[in-house]
Amino acid sequence: MEFPHFFDPFLLGTELLFTTIAVVFCFLIYFRTRESYELTKYEGIKYFRDAFLFFGLSYVLRFLLSLAFLSRIAFDFIIPRSMFVTLFILPLGYFSTIGIFYLIFSSIWKRFKGKNLLILGHTIAILLSIISFLTRSHLILLLFQSVLLLFGIVSNSIMRKSEKKVSQIRILYLLVSLLWLINLWIIDRPRPLSFEIDIISELVSLAVFVILYYKISKWVR
Amino acid sequence: MGQMNKKRDRLEVIFDVLKIIRDKQNSIKPTPLLRYSNLSSSSFSDYYNELVAKEFIKEITDKKGKKYITLTDKGFEYLEKYKLILGFIDEFEL
Repeated sequence: MEFPHFFDPFLLGTELLFTTIAVVFCFLIYFRTRESYELTKYEGIKYFRDAFLFFGLSYVLRFLLSLAFLSRIAFDFIIPRSMFVTLFILPLGYFSTIGIFYLIFSSIWKRFKGKNLLILGHTIAILLSIISFLTRSHLILLLFQSVLLLFGIVSNSIMRKSEKKVSQIRILYLLVSLLWLINLWIIDRPRPLSFEIDIISELVSLAVFVILYYKISKWVR
Repeated sequence: MGQMNKKRDRLEVIFDVLKIIRDKQNSIKPTPLLRYSNLSSSSFSDYYNELVAKEFIKEITDKKGKKYITLTDKGFEYLEKYKLILGFIDEFEL
Protein backbone atom coordinates (compact mmCIF):
# COMPACT_ATOMS: atom_id res chain seq x y z
CA MET A 1 0.00 0.00 0.00
CA GLU A 2 1.38 3.36 -0.94
CA PHE A 3 1.06 6.08 1.66
CA PRO A 4 0.74 9.76 0.87
CA HIS A 5 4.08 11.57 1.27
CA PHE A 6 3.11 13.09 4.61
CA PHE A 7 1.95 9.90 6.21
CA ASP A 8 4.06 8.34 8.91
CA PRO A 9 2.24 5.46 10.68
CA PHE A 10 4.48 5.71 13.74
CA LEU A 11 3.94 9.46 14.08
CA LEU A 12 0.18 9.10 13.66
CA GLY A 13 0.17 6.29 16.23
CA THR A 14 2.05 8.37 18.78
CA GLU A 15 -0.23 11.30 18.03
CA LEU A 16 -3.36 9.22 18.68
CA LEU A 17 -1.84 7.80 21.85
CA PHE A 18 -0.77 11.23 23.05
CA THR A 19 -4.16 12.87 22.42
CA THR A 20 -5.93 9.96 24.14
CA ILE A 21 -3.77 10.35 27.26
CA ALA A 22 -4.21 14.15 27.19
CA VAL A 23 -8.01 13.73 27.00
CA VAL A 24 -7.95 11.26 29.91
CA PHE A 25 -5.85 13.58 32.11
CA CYS A 26 -7.94 16.67 31.30
CA PHE A 27 -11.18 14.88 32.21
CA LEU A 28 -9.58 13.28 35.29
CA ILE A 29 -8.59 16.74 36.53
CA TYR A 30 -12.13 18.00 35.83
CA PHE A 31 -13.93 15.14 37.60
CA ARG A 32 -11.52 14.79 40.54
CA THR A 33 -12.03 18.46 41.48
CA ARG A 34 -15.82 18.29 41.29
CA GLU A 35 -16.30 17.61 45.00
CA SER A 36 -14.12 20.55 46.04
CA TYR A 37 -16.21 22.83 43.87
CA GLU A 38 -19.54 21.33 44.93
CA LEU A 39 -18.66 21.86 48.58
CA THR A 40 -17.37 25.42 48.28
CA LYS A 41 -18.77 26.90 45.04
CA TYR A 42 -15.45 28.73 44.89
CA GLU A 43 -15.12 30.63 41.61
CA GLY A 44 -11.40 29.99 41.18
CA ILE A 45 -11.98 26.23 41.33
CA LYS A 46 -14.83 26.55 38.83
CA TYR A 47 -12.63 28.36 36.27
CA PHE A 48 -9.78 25.91 36.83
CA ARG A 49 -12.05 22.89 36.30
CA ASP A 50 -13.76 24.39 33.27
CA ALA A 51 -10.39 25.19 31.70
CA PHE A 52 -9.51 21.49 31.74
CA LEU A 53 -12.98 20.48 30.59
CA PHE A 54 -12.55 22.69 27.50
CA PHE A 55 -8.95 21.60 26.94
CA GLY A 56 -10.22 18.01 27.16
CA LEU A 57 -12.87 18.70 24.54
CA SER A 58 -10.25 20.38 22.34
CA TYR A 59 -8.04 17.29 22.57
CA VAL A 60 -11.06 15.09 21.74
CA LEU A 61 -11.48 17.08 18.51
CA ARG A 62 -7.74 16.87 17.93
CA PHE A 63 -8.03 13.09 18.29
CA LEU A 64 -10.96 12.95 15.86
CA LEU A 65 -9.03 15.06 13.39
CA SER A 66 -6.12 12.63 13.53
CA LEU A 67 -8.59 9.79 12.98
CA ALA A 68 -10.02 11.61 9.99
CA PHE A 69 -6.51 11.80 8.51
CA LEU A 70 -6.17 8.08 9.16
CA SER A 71 -9.39 7.43 7.24
CA ARG A 72 -7.57 8.50 4.09
CA ILE A 73 -5.19 5.63 4.51
CA ALA A 74 -7.12 2.94 6.37
CA PHE A 75 -10.39 3.15 4.48
CA ASP A 76 -11.37 3.48 0.92
CA PHE A 77 -12.59 7.04 1.07
CA ILE A 78 -11.05 10.47 1.19
CA ILE A 79 -12.46 13.35 3.17
CA PRO A 80 -11.35 16.57 1.48
CA ARG A 81 -9.13 18.80 3.62
CA SER A 82 -11.55 21.70 3.28
CA MET A 83 -14.22 19.53 4.91
CA PHE A 84 -11.87 18.73 7.82
CA VAL A 85 -11.46 22.40 8.44
CA THR A 86 -15.17 23.08 8.10
CA LEU A 87 -16.05 20.28 10.50
CA PHE A 88 -13.46 20.93 13.15
CA ILE A 89 -12.23 24.50 13.21
CA LEU A 90 -15.43 26.05 14.60
CA PRO A 91 -15.78 23.87 17.75
CA LEU A 92 -12.01 23.48 18.10
CA GLY A 93 -11.53 27.24 17.97
CA TYR A 94 -14.25 27.85 20.54
CA PHE A 95 -13.27 25.11 23.02
CA SER A 96 -9.55 25.82 22.98
CA THR A 97 -9.93 29.62 23.18
CA ILE A 98 -12.34 29.40 26.09
CA GLY A 99 -10.02 26.84 27.74
CA ILE A 100 -7.15 29.35 27.65
CA PHE A 101 -9.51 32.08 28.88
CA TYR A 102 -10.69 30.01 31.83
CA LEU A 103 -7.11 29.18 32.80
CA ILE A 104 -6.32 32.92 32.82
CA PHE A 105 -9.59 33.68 34.69
CA SER A 106 -8.73 31.13 37.39
CA SER A 107 -5.84 33.28 38.56
CA ILE A 108 -7.14 36.81 37.85
CA TRP A 109 -10.88 36.50 38.63
CA LYS A 110 -10.51 38.15 42.05
CA ARG A 111 -9.69 41.44 40.37
CA PHE A 112 -12.70 41.49 38.09
CA LYS A 113 -16.41 41.00 38.26
CA GLY A 114 -16.94 37.41 37.18
CA LYS A 115 -19.95 37.79 34.91
CA ASN A 116 -18.50 40.52 32.70
CA LEU A 117 -15.30 38.56 32.37
CA LEU A 118 -17.21 35.45 31.32
CA ILE A 119 -19.33 37.26 28.74
CA LEU A 120 -16.18 38.88 27.32
CA GLY A 121 -14.39 35.52 27.17
CA HIS A 122 -17.23 33.69 25.44
CA THR A 123 -17.77 36.55 22.99
CA ILE A 124 -14.10 36.62 22.01
CA ALA A 125 -13.99 32.80 21.74
CA ILE A 126 -17.06 32.76 19.47
CA LEU A 127 -15.67 35.58 17.32
CA LEU A 128 -12.28 33.91 16.96
CA SER A 129 -13.80 30.58 15.99
CA ILE A 130 -16.06 32.26 13.42
CA ILE A 131 -13.11 34.19 11.93
CA SER A 132 -11.06 30.97 11.74
CA PHE A 133 -14.00 29.18 10.18
CA LEU A 134 -14.55 31.88 7.55
CA THR A 135 -10.84 32.07 6.70
CA ARG A 136 -10.55 28.24 6.83
CA SER A 137 -7.27 28.75 8.67
CA HIS A 138 -6.11 27.29 11.95
CA LEU A 139 -3.12 29.64 11.74
CA ILE A 140 -5.39 32.66 12.31
CA LEU A 141 -6.69 30.90 15.40
CA LEU A 142 -3.11 30.16 16.46
CA LEU A 143 -2.19 33.82 16.08
CA PHE A 144 -5.17 35.05 18.14
CA GLN A 145 -4.64 32.45 20.86
CA SER A 146 -0.94 33.40 21.06
CA VAL A 147 -1.99 37.03 21.61
CA LEU A 148 -4.45 35.84 24.27
CA LEU A 149 -1.73 33.86 26.01
CA LEU A 150 0.58 36.89 25.90
CA PHE A 151 -2.21 38.95 27.48
CA GLY A 152 -2.55 36.31 30.20
CA ILE A 153 1.18 36.38 30.94
CA VAL A 154 1.31 40.20 31.04
CA SER A 155 -1.84 40.61 33.19
CA ASN A 156 -0.63 37.93 35.60
CA SER A 157 2.80 39.54 35.86
CA ILE A 158 1.25 42.95 36.58
CA MET A 159 -1.08 41.51 39.22
CA ARG A 160 1.69 39.60 40.94
CA LYS A 161 4.55 42.03 40.46
CA SER A 162 5.21 42.09 44.21
CA GLU A 163 6.14 38.40 44.10
CA LYS A 164 9.81 37.93 43.35
CA LYS A 165 9.66 34.34 42.14
CA VAL A 166 7.50 32.86 39.41
CA SER A 167 5.70 29.92 40.99
CA GLN A 168 5.95 26.40 39.63
CA ILE A 169 2.20 26.29 39.07
CA ARG A 170 2.26 29.39 36.84
CA ILE A 171 5.00 27.78 34.75
CA LEU A 172 2.79 24.68 34.42
CA TYR A 173 -0.20 26.82 33.35
CA LEU A 174 2.00 28.52 30.78
CA LEU A 175 3.21 25.16 29.48
CA VAL A 176 -0.35 23.76 29.21
CA SER A 177 -1.34 26.72 27.02
CA LEU A 178 1.92 26.85 25.07
CA LEU A 179 1.85 23.13 24.30
CA TRP A 180 -1.74 23.44 23.15
CA LEU A 181 -0.62 26.16 20.72
CA ILE A 182 2.08 23.81 19.37
CA ASN A 183 -0.61 21.15 18.98
CA LEU A 184 -2.75 23.58 17.05
CA TRP A 185 0.18 24.59 14.87
CA ILE A 186 1.00 21.01 13.84
CA ILE A 187 -2.62 20.00 13.29
CA ASP A 188 -2.45 20.21 9.52
CA ARG A 189 -0.44 18.19 7.01
CA PRO A 190 2.34 18.34 5.98
CA ARG A 191 3.58 18.92 9.52
CA PRO A 192 5.68 22.04 10.04
CA LEU A 193 7.94 20.49 12.68
CA SER A 194 10.38 17.63 12.51
CA PHE A 195 9.47 14.21 13.89
CA GLU A 196 11.83 14.63 16.85
CA ILE A 197 10.35 17.97 17.89
CA ASP A 198 6.81 16.54 17.59
CA ILE A 199 7.69 13.66 19.89
CA ILE A 200 9.49 15.92 22.38
CA SER A 201 6.52 18.31 22.55
CA GLU A 202 4.15 15.37 23.14
CA LEU A 203 6.36 13.97 25.89
CA VAL A 204 6.65 17.37 27.57
CA SER A 205 2.85 17.77 27.35
CA LEU A 206 2.33 14.40 29.00
CA ALA A 207 4.84 15.26 31.74
CA VAL A 208 2.96 18.52 32.41
CA PHE A 209 -0.40 16.72 32.67
CA VAL A 210 1.07 14.04 34.95
CA ILE A 211 2.66 16.66 37.26
CA LEU A 212 -0.60 18.65 37.40
CA TYR A 213 -2.63 15.55 38.14
CA TYR A 214 -0.16 14.43 40.81
CA LYS A 215 -0.34 17.86 42.48
CA ILE A 216 -4.15 17.77 42.43
CA SER A 217 -4.25 14.25 43.84
CA LYS A 218 -2.42 15.46 46.94
CA TRP A 219 -5.32 17.76 47.81
CA VAL A 220 -8.35 16.03 46.37
CA ARG A 221 -9.05 12.71 48.06
CA MET B 1 -5.94 40.91 47.44
CA GLY B 2 -9.02 42.29 49.19
CA GLN B 3 -11.33 40.15 47.07
CA MET B 4 -9.23 37.07 47.69
CA ASN B 5 -9.31 37.60 51.43
CA LYS B 6 -13.05 38.18 51.30
CA LYS B 7 -13.51 34.91 49.45
CA ARG B 8 -11.11 33.08 51.73
CA ASP B 9 -12.95 34.57 54.69
CA ARG B 10 -16.21 33.23 53.36
CA LEU B 11 -14.88 29.67 53.30
CA GLU B 12 -13.36 30.25 56.71
CA VAL B 13 -16.57 31.65 58.21
CA ILE B 14 -18.49 28.64 56.93
CA PHE B 15 -15.86 26.39 58.50
CA ASP B 16 -16.06 28.26 61.82
CA VAL B 17 -19.85 28.13 61.98
CA LEU B 18 -19.93 24.42 61.19
CA LYS B 19 -17.16 23.77 63.70
CA ILE B 20 -19.10 25.53 66.45
CA ILE B 21 -22.10 23.28 65.80
CA ARG B 22 -19.94 20.16 65.77
CA ASP B 23 -18.15 21.15 68.98
CA LYS B 24 -21.52 21.58 70.72
CA GLN B 25 -22.34 17.91 70.27
CA ASN B 26 -23.92 18.71 66.92
CA SER B 27 -26.86 20.51 68.46
CA ILE B 28 -27.09 24.21 69.18
CA LYS B 29 -29.83 26.84 69.31
CA PRO B 30 -29.70 29.70 66.78
CA THR B 31 -29.05 32.46 69.34
CA PRO B 32 -25.88 30.95 70.90
CA LEU B 33 -24.67 30.07 67.44
CA LEU B 34 -25.00 33.72 66.42
CA ARG B 35 -23.10 34.76 69.53
CA TYR B 36 -20.25 32.25 69.11
CA SER B 37 -19.87 32.95 65.41
CA ASN B 38 -18.89 36.60 65.96
CA LEU B 39 -20.93 37.77 63.01
CA SER B 40 -23.38 40.63 62.72
CA SER B 41 -27.05 39.61 62.69
CA SER B 42 -27.49 40.36 59.00
CA SER B 43 -24.26 38.62 58.05
CA PHE B 44 -25.16 35.61 60.21
CA SER B 45 -28.58 35.47 58.58
CA ASP B 46 -26.98 35.39 55.10
CA TYR B 47 -24.57 32.62 56.05
CA TYR B 48 -27.28 30.70 57.88
CA ASN B 49 -29.58 30.75 54.87
CA GLU B 50 -26.70 29.74 52.60
CA LEU B 51 -25.77 26.81 54.84
CA VAL B 52 -29.38 25.61 54.96
CA ALA B 53 -29.74 25.99 51.19
CA LYS B 54 -26.50 24.06 50.60
CA GLU B 55 -27.71 21.40 53.02
CA PHE B 56 -24.70 21.77 55.32
CA ILE B 57 -26.99 22.27 58.31
CA LYS B 58 -30.59 21.53 59.12
CA GLU B 59 -33.09 22.71 61.70
CA ILE B 60 -34.79 20.29 64.01
CA THR B 61 -37.56 21.07 66.47
CA ASP B 62 -37.87 19.13 69.72
CA LYS B 63 -41.09 18.07 71.46
CA LYS B 64 -41.22 21.38 73.37
CA GLY B 65 -41.11 23.29 70.13
CA LYS B 66 -37.52 24.50 70.59
CA LYS B 67 -35.44 24.89 67.47
CA TYR B 68 -31.96 23.34 67.21
CA ILE B 69 -29.38 23.35 64.45
CA THR B 70 -27.40 20.25 63.49
CA LEU B 71 -24.88 19.36 60.84
CA THR B 72 -25.80 17.16 57.92
CA ASP B 73 -23.44 14.59 56.40
CA LYS B 74 -22.46 17.24 53.86
CA GLY B 75 -21.60 19.63 56.70
CA PHE B 76 -19.34 17.04 58.31
CA GLU B 77 -17.75 16.41 54.94
CA TYR B 78 -16.99 20.13 54.52
CA LEU B 79 -15.28 20.20 57.93
CA GLU B 80 -13.24 17.17 57.02
CA LYS B 81 -12.15 18.46 53.61
CA TYR B 82 -11.76 22.17 54.41
CA LYS B 83 -7.99 22.15 54.93
CA LEU B 84 -7.38 20.07 51.84
CA ILE B 85 -9.49 22.41 49.73
CA LEU B 86 -7.62 25.44 51.10
CA GLY B 87 -4.34 23.72 50.27
CA PHE B 88 -5.60 23.10 46.73
CA ILE B 89 -6.66 26.75 46.30
CA ASP B 90 -3.30 27.97 47.60
CA GLU B 91 -1.10 25.66 45.58
CA PHE B 92 -2.99 26.32 42.35
CA GLU B 93 -3.23 30.08 43.04
CA LEU B 94 -6.97 30.05 42.44
